[in-house]
Amino acid sequence: MTAHIPEDCIVRIEDLHFAYGGKQIYRGLDLQVPRGKITAILGPSGTGKTTVLRLIGAQLTPQRGRVYFNGTDVNAVSRPQLYRLRKQMSMLFQSGALFADMTVYENVAFPLHEHTQLPEELVRDIVLMKLEAVGMRAAVDLYPAELSGGMARRAALARSIALDPDLIMYDEPFVGQDPITKGVLVKLISDLNASLGLTSLVVTHDVREILEVAHYVYILAEGRVLGEGTPAQISHSDDPRVSQFINGDFDGPYAFHLKGSKSYLEEL
Amino acid sequence: MLNFPGMLGRYGLKKISALGRSTIMLYHALVARPQLRKHFPLLVQEIYFVGVQSVIIILVSGLFIGMVLGLQGFNILKDFMATGSLGTLVALAIIRELGPVVAALLYAGRAGSALTAEIGQLKASEQLSALEMMAVDPLRRIIAPRFWAGFISLPLLSLLFCVVGIYGGKFVGVDWLGLDDGIYWSGMQNSVELLADLVPMLIKSVVFAVACTWIALFNGYDCRPTSAGISAATTATVVQSSLAVLGLDFVLTALMF
Repeated sequence: MTAHIPEDCIVRIEDLHFAYGGKQIYRGLDLQVPRGKITAILGPSGTGKTTVLRLIGAQLTPQRGRVYFNGTDVNAVSRPQLYRLRKQMSMLFQSGALFADMTVYENVAFPLHEHTQLPEELVRDIVLMKLEAVGMRAAVDLYPAELSGGMARRAALARSIALDPDLIMYDEPFVGQDPITKGVLVKLISDLNASLGLTSLVVTHDVREILEVAHYVYILAEGRVLGEGTPAQISHSDDPRVSQFINGDFDGPYAFHLKGSKSYLEEL
Repeated sequence: MLNFPGMLGRYGLKKISALGRSTIMLYHALVARPQLRKHFPLLVQEIYFVGVQSVIIILVSGLFIGMVLGLQGFNILKDFMATGSLGTLVALAIIRELGPVVAALLYAGRAGSALTAEIGQLKASEQLSALEMMAVDPLRRIIAPRFWAGFISLPLLSLLFCVVGIYGGKFVGVDWLGLDDGIYWSGMQNSVELLADLVPMLIKSVVFAVACTWIALFNGYDCRPTSAGISAATTATVVQSSLAVLGLDFVLTALMF
């Protein structure tokens, strides 16, 4: 159930094999998330980046391999133990996943009401503090339907940090956001990580934004780690597949035309 | 040639797998010790949603079914000079069969489909996943209160249906067609027995409540998280619940009457 995992490593994935709907997503994935740092997971669409987050949260079960969180194999614990473990982690969903029939205040207070016996005055103070941290205190009484996409994500971020987790996982936080909101989110990820002593794991394909703040980067493709290193190492990688992804070249090792396409001339 | 048996086999395996998943879902939802402080308000809220909001449709349907039964019964019994048995006919038909069955069918159509759509939407918008990641078990927070609400509400709705249906028969037979008031009520009182009629009616409605609510909750929880998936799951809830109610009704009638 528990294993000797280095203290400075909050998540460790070993030889992970995962298939879903007949498609092999991972074939021997190995990665480690250093404690207290911002780690980015990059990769082309459809490589299963979000799947990694769901595997860490044990929302999915791998066919082979192990996923350790804080030294505990998340797939080897009982259901109540798993739910206790999840109190130490948090996830910001791509959609925000705010509860539609609750106000922003109720959304952020929800985990506090569920897991603590704090008096309502204290819950209110914590909620306002978290909303202040993400710049959303003015939206306390609004419903999710009244928020823009960026605001909803910031409110969801406040909810994610309500219980002061050890790890926060961001699933595509920049998708569909305007440049200003992207900048705000990048700053929030960096500031919260530093001020709350969190560990952040960010899944994204917005290379430019995340390389500004990440301490370590993994690039996933073809079911395993294609490249890893600090942003500087990744930016100057000799691997043509890594540099194609980082530079956004439209053609290269990953061909513009999908695999399996017949010759256009032949088809004509 | 071998395609059909293969398809049939795959369909069978899929259904058995779904039955297994639905049993696991219900087990995890019901086996955990409830936290009264948190879960009782949720239960009350869900009883309002699935029970109280179904009262109008149950009352109106019960009234009309009772009135139709009174009218048809009176016209048929008149040919045999037996209109005095109208109270017996209406009461037994409604209490033994129509009350629990029609109430369950209406419940499946109104509350069951709404439960499936609601849970499907929670799944599609990642709210169920968000609950899991906030260490809140959606089976205990979302599924269990809805299940118990259905379990409590449907038998009460069936009772209401029976009462209103019997009054519907009375309005037509007595107030409109002129049957004697005392004959109608005494016929009902003499024929309806607690253990032989009312208890089996309640047993039926409890069984239907479990079946319909379980089907509705599982279809929502297991649906594809897309608008087409939610739509298909909602349709499946109404179809499967209706067939389950009619099939179980035959089995229970054969066992109890």
